[in-house]
Amino acid sequence: MISSDTFKRGAKNGIDTLIELTKVIVPVYMIVTVIKHTPVFSFIAGVFSPVMKVFGLPGEAAIVLVLGNLLNIYAGIGAMASITLTAKQAAIIALMLSFSHNLIVETAVSKKVGVSIFLVLAIRLGLAAATGVILNLVL
Amino acid sequence: MAGVFNILLEGLTGGLVSVFKIALIVIPLMVIMEIAKDLHILDRITDMCSPITDILGISKTSAFPLAVGLAFGLAYGAGVIIQSAKQGNIDKRDLILMSVFLVCCHAVIEDSLVFVAVGVNGLWLLTIRTVTAFVLTVAVSRIIAVKHEENGSSESDNDTMQ
Repeated sequence: MISSDTFKRGAKNGIDTLIELTKVIVPVYMIVTVIKHTPVFSFIAGVFSPVMKVFGLPGEAAIVLVLGNLLNIYAGIGAMASITLTAKQAAIIALMLSFSHNLIVETAVSKKVGVSIFLVLAIRLGLAAATGVILNLVL
Repeated sequence: MAGVFNILLEGLTGGLVSVFKIALIVIPLMVIMEIAKDLHILDRITDMCSPITDILGISKTSAFPLAVGLAFGLAYGAGVIIQSAKQGNIDKRDLILMSVFLVCCHAVIEDSLVFVAVGVNGLWLLTIRTVTAFVLTVAVSRIIAVKHEENGSSESDNDTMQ
């Protein structure tokens, strides 16, 4: 039954888990912050802006997707507010970002669990692209 | 030079804040899990989830990490998975299938509400995301099952354990 040992075990497991996650999250978060302060985002967005047509999105939407994918959903939404989008375009971006976001940190965490980085990225980017194209056609 | 230092400091504090947020959930969660184990509640809950885990093609013990990841987020789910893997409760196949599901679909409450804030229908978003993750996981689990058969009996011992 429950004893003080139960709590001790729980706390120990919690702290052990936390140490494992800290080893991944802190360094990766630092790398992402450094990237944030470089022109990398606008460069990548420039490369991807012609592709946006496939999803029925304006070229500027590339910066939303790039920020959401390399930083996190909140960064993407922040950029979303700065461009004009129709309801359909907003829905497409939302679905694409919900499948694929915060890729650097989350892929590092998945890698820690033991899945291949390639598999994770292929699934997430693949789903985001596929649902983006489909939604643009059906909506 | 000061600029570089400030950026690194910003990254460090940001990282530590995320870890602290995770601590607030993960440590109580692990304590609750141990209590649930000692009271044999966890067994009953995982039994109740068995129809879902059966469809996904994963073992019953995977239900808890999946639920945590779905509710709180990928890092939280991963934390529980790492812990369970250490205790030897999860095999490689389950690990891959759980990860496939969770990388597509996690933190469903937070992620859906965030988009509601910018005028997107959250329920619609949640439904598409969950259904897609489900279909994909079932597909991958069938593919792995077929590969197992092709590989012959060397690895099939794992299957009979389930």
